[in-house]
Amino acid sequence: MTYNFTSKSKTWLAAGMVLGLLCLVLTWFGDDELHTRFWSNFLHNSVFFTGIAIMAGFFMSASITAWAGWYVVFKRVWEAISLYLIIGIPLMLLVGIGIIGDWHHLYHWSDLTTIDPDHENFDKILFGKKGFLNSTWYLGVTLVLGIIWIFIISKIRSLSLAEDTHGPDGFNRQYGMRKWAAMFLPFAGFGSAAVIWLWIMSVDAHWYSTLFAWYTGASWFVSMICLTILILLYLKSKGYFAEVTVEHFHDLGKFLFAFSIFWTYLWFSQYMLIWYGNIGEETVYFKERFTNYPVLFYGNLLINFVAPFLILMRNDTKRKMGSLAFVAGLVLLGHWVDFFLMVKPGVLHTAHSAMAHGTHDSVAEHGHSVEELAQGAEHASTFEMGFTIPGFLELGTFIGFLCLFIFFVFYILSKAPLVGKNDVYIEESKHHHT
Amino acid sequence: MANNKDIIYGLYNDEEDLLRAVKQANSDHLEIMDVYTPFPVHGLDPLLGLTESRLHIAGFIYGLLGTLTAFLGMTWIFTKDWPIIFGGKPHWSLPAFIPIIFELTVLFSAIGMTVTFYIVNGLGPGVVNPTIDLRITDDKFCIAFDKSEVEASKAESFLRSSGAAEIHSKTI
Repeated sequence: MTYNFTSKSKTWLAAGMVLGLLCLVLTWFGDDELHTRFWSNFLHNSVFFTGIAIMAGFFMSASITAWAGWYVVFKRVWEAISLYLIIGIPLMLLVGIGIIGDWHHLYHWSDLTTIDPDHENFDKILFGKKGFLNSTWYLGVTLVLGIIWIFIISKIRSLSLAEDTHGPDGFNRQYGMRKWAAMFLPFAGFGSAAVIWLWIMSVDAHWYSTLFAWYTGASWFVSMICLTILILLYLKSKGYFAEVTVEHFHDLGKFLFAFSIFWTYLWFSQYMLIWYGNIGEETVYFKERFTNYPVLFYGNLLINFVAPFLILMRNDTKRKMGSLAFVAGLVLLGHWVDFFLMVKPGVLHTAHSAMAHGTHDSVAEHGHSVEELAQGAEHASTFEMGFTIPGFLELGTFIGFLCLFIFFVFYILSKAPLVGKNDVYIEESKHHHT
Repeated sequence: MANNKDIIYGLYNDEEDLLRAVKQANSDHLEIMDVYTPFPVHGLDPLLGLTESRLHIAGFIYGLLGTLTAFLGMTWIFTKDWPIIFGGKPHWSLPAFIPIIFELTVLFSAIGMTVTFYIVNGLGPGVVNPTIDLRITDDKFCIAFDKSEVEASKAESFLRSSGAAEIHSKTI
């Protein structure tokens, strides 16, 4: 059965995208002169959904490599999610081009005066990191890895589609998929770490944590599982995927449960190692979040750890669609907030100091004096919509990106039968039992 | 077992045969005493009408006990009993407690569940558990009927018709 992407759903999703676009436009015009809020929202959402696509490709490849069979009935969903890279990578390239074009001040290191020894803005730490934190690497890594990822995912996808029309050809198509999947794994594993450093961690350019890539990757992974559950539940409610049973949801629920704990482990370890190891110079990351983002910082832990841990602990809550959908939706939003916390404080700091240093002349345009802004960098006002807590414009932007993502996934799903009928593991998957 | 039982049992070579036979016995209303398999067979529990084990509820309680023991224990030790300064940190340092809280939670629930499992099932050192046939720990699947519950001839004809490779009687 092929998914029929009705014009009604298209209209709804398009409406969501228009809402997102409208929010972006509104953000742009109500913004400071560096368009900090606009660009940080753009980065936040682009990174979030691109990462989800990377993780879907990664998990699919890991499953193919391991000869896993249980997921095969809904493998088209992961194929579609991972293909979202076709949209996500260009969005990230846009951010990269913005660094060269001086469109935004998301990254402190993109200000070239900081690595000029004769300039007053000279920054020894950024000077030491300039070999990696520069626009060439940013664009190069995004472009090269993006092309490799999309290429391999398309290969796996086309082999999967070829099975439908030409049969599995013995195990040959499975072997072919496995070859590409095994190649994808190192590119996704090491590559995702590299893009996380460049895309996200470098907004706090002075700070680094060797655990950060794991932590962010786990966040992406959990979000990917949440979206998979929600998409499958939606499609099932529309009468598709009769083969996807409560057993598959049970296993997805286990992944949601397990990787929420994994995420918490990394979230805590990152703090723990800095705190216990007396690495004073790295405490700045947490100091900023403790002081100015306490509600989100601790709420994050409550939503992303305590809620899934206690709710999904029992067998039956993973097998009841109501509780599973509730947790999946909650945790998806929780990890979106997690990314908000990763991106916003650093970007805000960079923007404030950029304005204070007078790299732009029109500082006082919106009635903020230089001193006021410089002070704001150190003591951000307690609640500033869009900066210290997500405002309506952020939520609208999130809905817009989500609708774009869902639109793309459904579009890809409608292109091929939802269940690959000739996959060698299809029978195992249909009779999957946890 | 204290009271001896006369049983009749059939050995199957394949778990699919076993599952079919259990379904057949259910529709024939034959009271199965027990089924023995070398490994957990998927889908067997609901056919036998077994309810979900409550062991994990006990496990949760043991885990909670471990969490509290570690948390309260360390709080008492490091603030009242023997306060020591480690690396300039405060006496009551929650982040430093968390690894130990985690470990004691796991330890308590693991040991507690194991002990509970052994007690509930009457297992332990020196306990003799009769094994119907040694091959049920290797590659045979067994359905056993209690002769006081099911007529022996009926059970035998059922076992024969459902494809049992061997049929035996025994007193355990």
